[in-house]
Amino acid sequence: MGHSRRWFVRQVALFTAGLSVSVPRFTYDQAEAAVPPAKKPLVVSVQGKDYVQLVRKGVELAGGIDQFVSSGDTVVVKPNIGWDRRVEQAANTHPLVVKTLVELALDGGAKRVQVFDYTCNDARRCYHNSGIKDALAGLGRKVQLEYIDERKFIPVEISKGTSLKRWKIYQDVLEADRYINVPVAKHHGLSRLTLGMKNVMGVIGGNRGRLHHDLGQKLADLATVVKPDLTVIDATRMLMNNGPQGGRLADVKQTDQLVLSADQVAADAYGTTLFGLPSDSLDSTVAAHKMGLGEMNLSAMQIIERTI
Amino acid sequence: MKLFPSGKIRRKNGWVVARRLVQFLSLILFFFLFIKTDYTGSDRIAYAVNIYFRIDPFLALSAMLAAKAIISLMLISGVVLALCFVFGRAFCGWFCPLGGLLDFFRSFIGTRKKKIDTFFPTASRTILVFCLVCAAFSFHISGILDPFSLLVRGLAQAIYPGFNFLVNEFFGFTYGKVPGIGHDISEGIYRGLKHFILPFEQHYFELAFLSGFMLVIVIVAERVQSRFFCRNVCPLGSMLGICSQLSVAKVSGADEQCGRCVVCRKTCPMGAINPEREVDKYGCTLCMNCLRACPRQVLSVGGGRPQVQNSVSLSRRNFFTIIGAGALLYSVAGARTVSGNKNEPLIRPPGALAEKDFLARCVRCAECIKVCIGNGLQPAFMEAGIETIFTPKLAARTGYCEFNCTLCGQVCPSGALEILTLAEKHTFKIGLARINKELCLPFNEHIPCIVCEEHCPTHDKAIRFKEVQVVTKDNRQKSIKQPYVIRDLCVGCGICETKCPIQGRSAITVSSDGETRHQDQLPPISSEHGTNPYS
Repeated sequence: MGHSRRWFVRQVALFTAGLSVSVPRFTYDQAEAAVPPAKKPLVVSVQGKDYVQLVRKGVELAGGIDQFVSSGDTVVVKPNIGWDRRVEQAANTHPLVVKTLVELALDGGAKRVQVFDYTCNDARRCYHNSGIKDALAGLGRKVQLEYIDERKFIPVEISKGTSLKRWKIYQDVLEADRYINVPVAKHHGLSRLTLGMKNVMGVIGGNRGRLHHDLGQKLADLATVVKPDLTVIDATRMLMNNGPQGGRLADVKQTDQLVLSADQVAADAYGTTLFGLPSDSLDSTVAAHKMGLGEMNLSAMQIIERTI
Repeated sequence: MKLFPSGKIRRKNGWVVARRLVQFLSLILFFFLFIKTDYTGSDRIAYAVNIYFRIDPFLALSAMLAAKAIISLMLISGVVLALCFVFGRAFCGWFCPLGGLLDFFRSFIGTRKKKIDTFFPTASRTILVFCLVCAAFSFHISGILDPFSLLVRGLAQAIYPGFNFLVNEFFGFTYGKVPGIGHDISEGIYRGLKHFILPFEQHYFELAFLSGFMLVIVIVAERVQSRFFCRNVCPLGSMLGICSQLSVAKVSGADEQCGRCVVCRKTCPMGAINPEREVDKYGCTLCMNCLRACPRQVLSVGGGRPQVQNSVSLSRRNFFTIIGAGALLYSVAGARTVSGNKNEPLIRPPGALAEKDFLARCVRCAECIKVCIGNGLQPAFMEAGIETIFTPKLAARTGYCEFNCTLCGQVCPSGALEILTLAEKHTFKIGLARINKELCLPFNEHIPCIVCEEHCPTHDKAIRFKEVQVVTKDNRQKSIKQPYVIRDLCVGCGICETKCPIQGRSAITVSSDGETRHQDQLPPISSEHGTNPYS
């Protein structure tokens, strides 16, 4: 039996208030959970030097911001700010991409836009040196660049999970009306690449290193709960080696590209090809596709490629 | 003449009000600098947060004696010493943050039984001389009882993180439970506290109890005797007191007008007024309480020709006994295993001088431990000898050294840690990581992991992995990525040890091996990866 999303959000609130001892259980109704079946998922790939235009044009081609944000929504924009690295080192999402998406969400009528990441290095250093803190300064009170609040990690029962049955997930992500995932495309020692689905690591608590066993399936399990309304893979510059942290500029390739899709599996599958790999190279993509969470065959996608 | 004159007399209130105001401002300054001893969005520390330690002539003299060198950072302390010849021990009464704190708490907890005379009048002098003698032997223990070191250690390692813990627990409890507008208010208060007062993150300290206990004891001792610590223990106060005996400013005691009521003697928090109502410049902190208390208002403060007073002093025999004790301590300390051991048991912060020079200069002020954003630095106990207590060490299972951070060197008041540029920091090796294959998941249990490789911050990765074919315990072929460390590239920051996901002991640990400061102890042959950059 599934429940509505509203029901789940109420369970989270009750659990936080201590009024319920049962861990919030994540079971969506089929209708709400499944990707629209018959239609081919749309994947937009745009390339260009002007990142502001790149984001704006990309979102427009993906259906326009109105499709992803409605008036009065609370929106979470989740970039990768995991490392104490500078923009050119390509370990974090480009600040301009983040900023433009936040502005678009505001244009779309968002009541509040939250931006955060559960960082690996000191959070203040990451927020500062990634350039994201400066980029979001002065966007107004509706935009909140926040540090992670440990109190907000809520244990969630992942009913559809096969490898991961329960994990702590960030409350604001569970409760937000809209979730926009903005990973940076980069190499990763264990999972080969880190794209959209791996970016979920920044909204979950616990001993994250312990997820590295059967990581692909675990990411797919988490993807049954954390479902972005839009995934924007920042490939303006890609860390080709020594990821996910990098540091050497020699490992960075400037590609001026963005991949956008409402289907996070399709976004990852297409994103994988940017590294010259087949679209089914990532365990997480394959596992998620198998679970019916999205498309991984390029032939089954509607792909728009533009140079701006 | 009546003892207590009738009618209204004008009390000299102004001095005490002024003193309390200065004390208050000094405390505000102290706490402001204390809170700012942290990363604030810039790679440089914005304020001279270590200024209290740099103006401390006791620490300065000790460190210079021990290091046999002039420490320019601490020369400014000479000003404080010089001012004693003018204003006496006003530093203790007006400016010292610990003194201010003690006066503040005494006004609440009171002193149980008024014992006017100092319990151990020669103790603080004995401590002072003993510390300096030890320092001359390069056995530097002055920081243990220095008032600023003691205060900052207690606050930074116990009271402040303890307060943060309490506040977090409280608002963790109210979070989500307070209904309606109450929640907005409580969260607003929490946010305000976090923004202005609380540390960014909860940090944990191995010596929380000991550091906190020492500070609490000093405060609770006010119950026994006012300014107990300042009179009976404080070596800095003693040093200032000795110089103050030649001071120009002084409180004049009894004159012909005096009614011998000894109210001044009873009100003096330092016990500096004898039954003959003479003010001992060694003890007088010019707090001016007596000026206000005197029923006839006959006391006054003024200047005069400096002259040595006859106050209690160490006898020659005691003086030589202390020197003998210092020599004995030093010689026996030299016979310990830790002294003969050429293996450094502790990992020191980046920029640390060679161990002998480091110990000679370190004043145990805990500034580096306070500022360490990764909670990597911990106060050592006595694992490397009694003299290493409260010195900073890296405890990498609790926290790590942030690769791009150079704050510890910037806050060190004595140059025990050098200020490193970012480029220098990136190649400054404080130790070396080694993998324990018995514990490591990919080695022992063939479970994929390489979290250490992921977190290794050096631009040219010091931790890498090899993809190897293994036969599992149930005889299956499996491909797995196993990490290894490249000695020449590892800086020993310890993030691998902190983040290693297995429970209990980490499967990768750092030791002081290969540290930049002891290059003579590097292995004789260069390792397989390229050339040794330090050879």
